[in-house]
Amino acid sequence: MQTLAVNGYDMAYLEIGKGRPLVCVHGTLGDFRTWSVVLGPLSRNHRVISVSLRRFFPEHWDGVGDDYLMVQHIADMIGFLEKLGDGPVDLMGHSRGGHIAFRVAQLRPDLLRRLVLAEPGGEFDATLDPSASGPTPSDRAARISASAEKTKAGDIEGALELFFDTIDGDGAWRRLPAAPKQQLRDNVFTLIGQASENRKPFSKAEAQSIETPTLFIGGADTKGSLPAVLHALSAEVPGAKTVMIPGCRHWMFEQAPREFSEIVTKFLADA
Amino acid sequence: MQTFSVNSCDMAYLDVGEGPPLVCVHGSLCDFRIWHCVLGPLSKRRRVIALSLRHFFPGQWDGNGDTYSIAQHVSDVIGFIEKLDVGPVDLMGHSRGGHVSFRAAQRRPDLLRRLILAEPGGELDATLDPGFKPGPSPLAARIATAAGKIAAGDVEGGLSFFIDAIEGPGAWTRTPAAPKQMLRDNAFTLIGQARDNRPPFSRADAEAIAMPTLFIGGARTKGSLPQVLRALAAHVPNSTTAMIPNTTHPMFEQAPQKFCEVVLEFLGAP
Repeated sequence: MQTLAVNGYDMAYLEIGKGRPLVCVHGTLGDFRTWSVVLGPLSRNHRVISVSLRRFFPEHWDGVGDDYLMVQHIADMIGFLEKLGDGPVDLMGHSRGGHIAFRVAQLRPDLLRRLVLAEPGGEFDATLDPSASGPTPSDRAARISASAEKTKAGDIEGALELFFDTIDGDGAWRRLPAAPKQQLRDNVFTLIGQASENRKPFSKAEAQSIETPTLFIGGADTKGSLPAVLHALSAEVPGAKTVMIPGCRHWMFEQAPREFSEIVTKFLADA
Repeated sequence: MQTFSVNSCDMAYLDVGEGPPLVCVHGSLCDFRIWHCVLGPLSKRRRVIALSLRHFFPGQWDGNGDTYSIAQHVSDVIGFIEKLDVGPVDLMGHSRGGHVSFRAAQRRPDLLRRLILAEPGGELDATLDPGFKPGPSPLAARIATAAGKIAAGDVEGGLSFFIDAIEGPGAWTRTPAAPKQMLRDNAFTLIGQARDNRPPFSRADAEAIAMPTLFIGGARTKGSLPQVLRALAAHVPNSTTAMIPNTTHPMFEQAPQKFCEVVLEFLGAP
């Protein structure tokens, strides 16, 4: 694969199409293949660059080491965009990758032209949710560390089922076809890293500080905390647009690739 | 993407892992992405190189010209392996890509170490099938109809006609959105497919394949594909056959772990 050396790590990426760069960041258990289904429509207008974060496939990581951290992945994405050296780019992140993309926008707005956050993952601090009814870091920590323990104990299927069903509903893992299952399985050891990734909650001031024109995109049928996070952030990010795709859940671009690509392409094209 | 210039065409490929090279050739209406679900297990022990044949995604073809044919794609795969320049490789092809791989093995055995044919597509001539009737395959007329719709701009109509013709009425509607999108990304290749010009397999063709060959299929695949697989396997001298239970033609998507286990066992220790 093509790689860029960033912070001492060779980051693999897939690059397709010509035009303005659109850099795509996968979420938990994903990798550069996460975006496969939208590469066709998106690459008609953009040079699509789909990265694999440190420790994700194509690396076959064993879960040993202490550099799977939220701050490391954010620093890696900033380093990747600097190395790419193409001026400000459009940046799109899904789920945990949306969290990373948000943090890049917060820290280095000079690197970005537009930002697309597809159901970004995260938690609230008290400024965004005074009632504290939203997801808290402890809820999430508990389920991630349970998945990590199962992975360490060799119960790969159990770890994946626990994690996946938390996001997509009970029984979702069992119903998932074998092909997407295998791509998640290829990254199962990253759950061990994720148990101690040390992700900080979002605050109102952080959301208000995002200067980059931002699109929030989600699945209208996604359950749990992800839609709450999306709406809380989009209410505070100045001028943000929000589109929820009917009939879709968290992997909305796989469930409606044409609609997703049309919405993203239109947002990126608008002057 | 990474590309090699082969026969005046930039052939895109994905290159993952380290070890002895395994070159993978997709089938009709697919591209390098069809192998995504087996890249993990295979790349633990092999350098996996998944190519896109001429005119398939990421190519954006309009269907014009006579450069989509079995003969062209066989020449391109041969040229690609020569450009790779790493000595003999293992070659794996699925469906029409299995046909292309078989023909590459026939023409240039010096380039290959081992061959894997996952339900290769094709027809059997009278030396392999006593019931053979010369003339175009029954699928040809349907491909031509679908190609006509696509050339006229009706991509959805062309694809739904084609998929329903192969899989039965309502099949396109039932296809999940993700595989549908990959078919759309490659829809214009059906225009080329209408003049693919694929000669049938003969017994002499099969007997001429010298390298160790694995035939792999889905135990529940219907139609002519299992028949073609069995006929070829019976005559390729150094061949083994594995049918994966409870799977059909996209067997590696339906049982990626089992598929990789069988393939890696056949390829042996790196």
